[in-house]
Amino acid sequence: MFKKLQQYDKGTRYVALVVLVILIPLAYSIVKPIFAHNDPITEVFLEKPDPSHTSCVRDTTYMRLHHWELLTKIREEVVRYGNRTIEIRDGKKEAIGLNDCRNCHTSRERFCDRCHNAVNLYPECWGCHYYP
Amino acid sequence: MNRREFLEAGGGILFAGVSCAYAGHLLTSYATKTTGEDSPAFGKKMGMVIDVNKCRKGCTECLKACKAENNIAQPGDSRWDVHWIRKVTLKDKNNTNVPEKPVVLLCNHCDKPPCAQVCPVQATFKRPDGIVIVDYHRCIGCRYCVIACPYNARYFNFKEAEVWSNKGYPRRTHGVAEACNLCAHRLEIGDVPACVVACQNIGAGAITVGDMNDPESDISKLIANNSTKRIRMDLGTEPKVHYIGL
Amino acid sequence: MEVKFESVEGRSLQYYLLLLVLALMAAAGAAVTWWASISGLWITGMTNRIPWGFQIVMAVYYIGFSEGCLVVAGLYGVFGKREYKPFVRIAVYLAMLFLIAGLLSIFTDQGRMDRVFVEPFIHFNLQSMFSINPILYLGHIVICLIFLGALFKEKEGFTRVIATLAFAWAFCVHSGTGAIFGYGARELYESPMLPATFVAAAMASGIALMIVVIVSLFKITKRQVDDGLILWLGKLMAVTITVVVYFVFVENAYRAYIVELREAAHYYLFGGFHSILFWFGLVLCGMILPMLIIFNRKTGHSVRWVIIASVLVLFGVLCERYVIVLPGLTHPPDLFPGMEITTVPGIKVDDGVVSYSISFVEVVQALGVVGVIGFLFVFGLKVLKLLPNEARVLDHHTPAS
Repeated sequence: MFKKLQQYDKGTRYVALVVLVILIPLAYSIVKPIFAHNDPITEVFLEKPDPSHTSCVRDTTYMRLHHWELLTKIREEVVRYGNRTIEIRDGKKEAIGLNDCRNCHTSRERFCDRCHNAVNLYPECWGCHYYP
Repeated sequence: MNRREFLEAGGGILFAGVSCAYAGHLLTSYATKTTGEDSPAFGKKMGMVIDVNKCRKGCTECLKACKAENNIAQPGDSRWDVHWIRKVTLKDKNNTNVPEKPVVLLCNHCDKPPCAQVCPVQATFKRPDGIVIVDYHRCIGCRYCVIACPYNARYFNFKEAEVWSNKGYPRRTHGVAEACNLCAHRLEIGDVPACVVACQNIGAGAITVGDMNDPESDISKLIANNSTKRIRMDLGTEPKVHYIGL
Repeated sequence: MEVKFESVEGRSLQYYLLLLVLALMAAAGAAVTWWASISGLWITGMTNRIPWGFQIVMAVYYIGFSEGCLVVAGLYGVFGKREYKPFVRIAVYLAMLFLIAGLLSIFTDQGRMDRVFVEPFIHFNLQSMFSINPILYLGHIVICLIFLGALFKEKEGFTRVIATLAFAWAFCVHSGTGAIFGYGARELYESPMLPATFVAAAMASGIALMIVVIVSLFKITKRQVDDGLILWLGKLMAVTITVVVYFVFVENAYRAYIVELREAAHYYLFGGFHSILFWFGLVLCGMILPMLIIFNRKTGHSVRWVIIASVLVLFGVLCERYVIVLPGLTHPPDLFPGMEITTVPGIKVDDGVVSYSISFVEVVQALGVVGVIGFLFVFGLKVLKLLPNEARVLDHHTPAS
């Protein structure tokens, strides 16, 4: 590729450099989640809640992939409409929020952070919300 | 391929990539779009009445209660301290015989809030129940709302809050704007705001918060039975904090 | 005679030293901005009473330049003055760069820089000038890019179309920027005149910058430029300054005449540091001296004096930007008309007039922005064919006569 670039004048090479410098992080950020999804998430040890808690609000696969959608939905309802009773489980309205997660998943470090670190995603919830 | 074609192709690819990224973001935000249609907040009009005659001179209980409840940033330097509620003393310039009045000032939760009008990301907005509130998840920290507020009631987090007194309520990172939210998180679970509790605890009971659309509520009766005043009505912002005896 | 454009050689030691200095400035600005994004904006010296500081002053100053640059480009593109064709590429390139500089200044001034590229484009609020302006700014940059492309391809007809569009768009951009302040709630901000003043001052400062850049650039690269072209630009600058004088006079006369605003007007004109900048910087250096220099028969025909006038105008418009932004913030909003307010000790928000001083951090940030666009400009001179071989008056008569 570089040999081919040498055919052009110096301006083209500089512009190519600039475009590459811009494009590489962009491409990386697009490609990263695809590979991150193939990471062996199952090998990350997540602390399961103790056996007295039988199930989460949805099944495990859904929660793994879409828990952020539920959290966003709760956030929008509470912050923007002041609506705290939200339909999260099918056909049942209940007052539920981020604070209720920690009833079962007691440790943020051993539950949220381990997986998020493994897939290289750093949401900024804990700058403001309390989760021990 | 000469330089021109290369530039055109590069620009095209960049444009396409950026627009795809934004389209994707827009679509995902549409997927999680909420309407809040069954929110209990609809039809309400929350407001506050402050009885200046009952307010005690030199008392700052409501200020302390507010700071403890809402984890307000207090870096210790008065330049960057945040005050959701603050207190001033008023003296009439023209008539010195009029006694001084202590007045608590806070966000007026205007019916036509200038801060919400100027917010470029709709982070500051008026909820269905009339509370003007900040969505800290969205605020970019441009501070246009601080400029636009004619009541000096909006603040910016120049420094982060170090103490986290109330773990049940979030704090704020540095870089977002904030103002009094009428303790919306307490009102939603049927509680009254922290400043009201503090004022009742010392026996003054100068602050009342409630639904002004409900004719049976305390606040509606107070407004109906007393002559109330609001700050700077001439600005057309229609504040919802009423003062008795100002 | 056809104008030929070329790029500079750019292999001398001085060239690389200049690039290095500009890059270091940019790096210093970036470092300070990084510090601010980590520890909070308190390091910039802004407070809750003065939430906008020197960065916003510099942002509107930079954005203003692009208008004047496009005026010079429009002389060729819109009004068909072919003798100004040699400057048109530099003008459009600078117009684009200064808009980028303004956006950079605003960007580095935000509390949450990580959200700036996402949230404003998802949640529009078309009632807010801050939401309308990014559309105008980004559109302006795109139009400038297309303009540059048309110039590089030497397409006459399309250049005329895009130049007219850019000229009109620039008016919207700079009115919008003025409207951020003009439609604000502060007593000293609220003025429908402000967008118009802003456009006029932007033209004056931009033309002054073009004069300085053209003359110095042609001198450094040992190119020929006819005095008549520069002198005529100087006259154009003086005309725009008269418009600024008129607008500023009307605005202040209005404030002084209306009884409610009289106290604020007194504060604006005789209230402290900004008043010195107003009288000495804007009125004397920015208006009176340049007009005396340019309308004087003797000094008005000397390029040296026109450059001095341009530098004075650059300083004067910087002062103008300062007295737009800061006095409106340091002057307190009148919460209780006719009442005297005393606050609880420790709460500074309800203090009367507060003072503001430009901090070191803000200066470094502003220099960093200059470094970024200076680097882009100097580098662009080498990469792109921006400079003409010479600039001559056509038909051997000055266009001013």
